[in-house]
Amino acid sequence: MRRVVWESAVVLFLMLVLGTASNLLPSRHLAWWGRGQEPPRAGQDFQLLDVDSAHALWESLPGTVFVDTRTQQEYAAGHVPQALRLELPSLDHMLDNATRQRLGGAAAVVIYGSSEETDIEQLLAQALRQRIPEMPLPYVLLGGFAHWQGAGFPTEQGP
Amino acid sequence: MSWWRHPWVHRILSWVLGAIFLYAAVPKVLDPRPLVTIIWGYRLLPPGPVNLVAIYMPFLELLVGLGLLTGVLRRGAAFWAFFLLSVFELALLVNAVRGVNVACGCFSQSATDVHNAWLLVLRDLPMWLGAGVLLFFPPEPQRQGAR
Repeated sequence: MRRVVWESAVVLFLMLVLGTASNLLPSRHLAWWGRGQEPPRAGQDFQLLDVDSAHALWESLPGTVFVDTRTQQEYAAGHVPQALRLELPSLDHMLDNATRQRLGGAAAVVIYGSSEETDIEQLLAQALRQRIPEMPLPYVLLGGFAHWQGAGFPTEQGP
Repeated sequence: MSWWRHPWVHRILSWVLGAIFLYAAVPKVLDPRPLVTIIWGYRLLPPGPVNLVAIYMPFLELLVGLGLLTGVLRRGAAFWAFFLLSVFELALLVNAVRGVNVACGCFSQSATDVHNAWLLVLRDLPMWLGAGVLLFFPPEPQRQGAR
């Protein structure tokens, strides 16, 4: 019994050290105390969009802005032409006036990431809506960049 | 010796549960942000502590997985495995009774990966029982020369 208590306390201590240290990393930082924010909801914070419709927007609607949520390395390896790169943890730092104006004046905004799961993109859509109310309801691309690239749609490389 | 106290039963249970916890922990450790949405979806915690759970719980899962797999701090890892699985089962059960299907957050980081809560309760039940065996029925040492 004493061994269980002792070892459980050690595991708890290690969890506190590792959790605290990792949350100090800017790339994965979360506010320590939640603010009671509702999770993003389809129709209210974003709309889902398939890759063919996204391509149709890209081709036919001038003023469509694509937002890339992936890492700098992934972005440099290939992205939708002229896509903006925005990261959720450093969003306030990355949202300069030019970017705010570009998103606020966009005809449509399409947010994409790297994977099938679009939770980060939905959270980013919600955060952008709160910071730029004049921005149109953003689309979240189903399947992310992999589907765009897989469909053979145009990409460009570079930072 | 009862079969559930046999050292090999404990070894196999530890390896299986350890691998499951490790598999579940890695994506949450790498990026805990989607977990906030998933924990919120359970509608059990007030908003404040939701982030704290998302910050620390992935590392508890990671340590449990490593402890059970390697044998280092195995008794402590077994305690936390049983504790975590009890909390998960209770949270799922409450939502099953409410009739709310939730995104489990067990092996997927997606809040849209929603399943029937009763099925999730049943899926976690063998793991909960296994963790209970590890915690409450420690293995009896094998006697040398025993036939």
